[in-house]
Amino acid sequence: MINRRNFLQGTSVLMAHAGFSQLVATFLASRSAVAASAGDPIFLSAAELGRIAVLVDLILPETDSPAATAAGTHEFVDAALSACASPKQQATFRRGLAALAADGFDAMSGQERLAWLQRRAASDVVLSYDESFFKILKDYTLTGYFHSEIGATKALAYERVPGGFQGDIPLAADQKAWAI
Amino acid sequence: MAKSNRFDAIVVGSGMSGGWAAKELSERGLETLVLERGRNLRHIVDYHTALQDPWQLPHYNRPSQQDRAAQPIQSTLYLYDQSTKQHFVNDREHPYAQAQPFNWYRGSHVGGRSLMWARHVFRYSDLDFEANLREGTGVDWPIRYADIAPWYEHVERFIGASGENAGLPQLPDQVLQPPFEMNAFEKHIRSRFAAKFTDRKLICSATAVLSREHNGRGPCQGRNQCARGCPFSAYFSSNGVTLPAAAATGRLTLQPDSIVHSLIYDDSKRRVTGVRVVDAQSKQTTEYFARVVFLCASTLASTAILLNSRSSRFPQGLGNDSGVLGHYLMDHHNGGGAVGSYSRLADRYYRGRRSTSMYIPRFRNVAHREKNFMRGYGYEVYTSRQNWSRGLETPEFGAGFKNEITRPGQWQVYMEGYGETLPYKDNRVWLDPDRPDPWGMPTINVSMSYRDNERRMSEQMMADAVEMLKAADVENVSGFNRETIPGSVIHEMGTARMGRDPKTSVLNNYNQVHAVPNVFVTDGSCMVSSPTQNPSLTYMALTARASAYAVERLRKGEI
Repeated sequence: MINRRNFLQGTSVLMAHAGFSQLVATFLASRSAVAASAGDPIFLSAAELGRIAVLVDLILPETDSPAATAAGTHEFVDAALSACASPKQQATFRRGLAALAADGFDAMSGQERLAWLQRRAASDVVLSYDESFFKILKDYTLTGYFHSEIGATKALAYERVPGGFQGDIPLAADQKAWAI
Repeated sequence: MAKSNRFDAIVVGSGMSGGWAAKELSERGLETLVLERGRNLRHIVDYHTALQDPWQLPHYNRPSQQDRAAQPIQSTLYLYDQSTKQHFVNDREHPYAQAQPFNWYRGSHVGGRSLMWARHVFRYSDLDFEANLREGTGVDWPIRYADIAPWYEHVERFIGASGENAGLPQLPDQVLQPPFEMNAFEKHIRSRFAAKFTDRKLICSATAVLSREHNGRGPCQGRNQCARGCPFSAYFSSNGVTLPAAAATGRLTLQPDSIVHSLIYDDSKRRVTGVRVVDAQSKQTTEYFARVVFLCASTLASTAILLNSRSSRFPQGLGNDSGVLGHYLMDHHNGGGAVGSYSRLADRYYRGRRSTSMYIPRFRNVAHREKNFMRGYGYEVYTSRQNWSRGLETPEFGAGFKNEITRPGQWQVYMEGYGETLPYKDNRVWLDPDRPDPWGMPTINVSMSYRDNERRMSEQMMADAVEMLKAADVENVSGFNRETIPGSVIHEMGTARMGRDPKTSVLNNYNQVHAVPNVFVTDGSCMVSSPTQNPSLTYMALTARASAYAVERLRKGEI
């Protein structure tokens, strides 16, 4: 969440600009608007979305930070694949989804699902991105998770307004990588 | 809208150069009309994405297929994403023709590319201004460093720039705020260079980003999201700096949505009396009149306006007695460089996002003459510790993988050279009146290619980059030397060059059209050669210098 104190640190001189408070007001208003969107899957069927939810949590499970699905990553995969992936990438992804269903993924145990994804990762690693279901899935999973609020602020370290630049500081033992 | 059609001065374009013309002319007492082809874009309040978090942007900032279809050229730019796409033109609505591939990256809004530029500001030196004469390429620059040095200082004091002076004759010292700090890896590279080379050093780039407060602006808050527009006014843009200064005089009229069709030439007065403007919305034509006109519409656009300004006196375009208008297009080339990683210094990190690079000033063809190529190059050097993206291409996943990639990875370095391109007559732009754009303007055709000198230079750019990284104990060093599409560095220059002789140039030593003394062209189109360093500071200095000169001549009744 926005922390006004953190947000405005070192910026007292800037508050004098009339446009600044107007921009901040717009920004605060836009936050609530973006948060309220959810609905039926776009690119995937409901069953496929369920399978993708399992896969994204295999890729990024709960650790000291929440799992991918807790950040809505499976929904990001669905929406972003629909809007951002090329027709060729979408076709590759559809073939991967078909293989997933044909292999009986829904009936598999947790161990079997893990083994399925490991096999897929090993066989896909030599393929180009456009032809690799695993690479596309991993791309959208990592992007969706690490750019989500949970991923950026809990799994990584995020500062909207760092307040300046310190070039050379000791790395603390618990320091996460910067999100951006 | 303008209340009257008569002004003292008209400035075409509101970007890097136009903002400076507006400021200097209005501060010197001229009622000044600035015509901008694009939409209005107000400082700060119109930077709608400036404070957005990644998760607030559509598709978490990833461009969509729809975006790429609307902006097939613009979307190939490294800066292009959901947070910046509104600052680039819709390529479908702003067509141009490429006789050879040419990337024309641009916006259509008040402020032009001063809103999205990469902010590096270096001076040229006499090594640059004397190069054409010394080596017999193109024509001689009609100015030398001493002519422009006071104007560099004038501009630097106003825009506010930070960085490190190299203390080298080929990269003159500047008026700079303290530089942003180097990280541990950069400090290491710098010390290795100092130990191994006498002619090469790593410095923090001179950048129009404030490390300290300056005239109520800044300092930089370490966001590195400059191309969205800076709500802290910490980098220089027309929107945030020069246009407000011009407005403060009370003599500025800024009119967006105004596409300049051509200049109006009066045969009897032998002067331009004004400009014809097509309203971007209504497409109606209006004429505006002034005693002096500054063309600052950008390299390609200013030359297109001159070419489109035909009269019985100038059948080939205004000021084109020499026939060189449209010719000698240049851009830098940046295809040569190297990457590497560094596994030591794992206990050091940084905080904040520094919005500039490190820089290695030119060292080729400085003290010694190279056998294989003329001119030289500097390098931009970028370093960081790897982030989660290092996990994208690997087969690993799961808890261990997640723990690993959420920690800072190894140091990595990317460096690429920025090389000078020689002026070639057949690298050019011309108009195609049979294919008008939606506003009835002839299509701009571009044809440009790099030649043997650039190719040989690029090979050396790669070789030197590899040598330097290895000298700095960098690991996994890998050089690259790739073909690049002209225009991609977004330093397009030339096509209405300055010169000493009206028979071989368009503009004189004050950026004044030789045959039409009340028309000045002060953007990148005036360039005579394409020195290694980033050119914007020179456009600003030439504009300020030409503005002062124009006002002086006006006062004396000479134009």
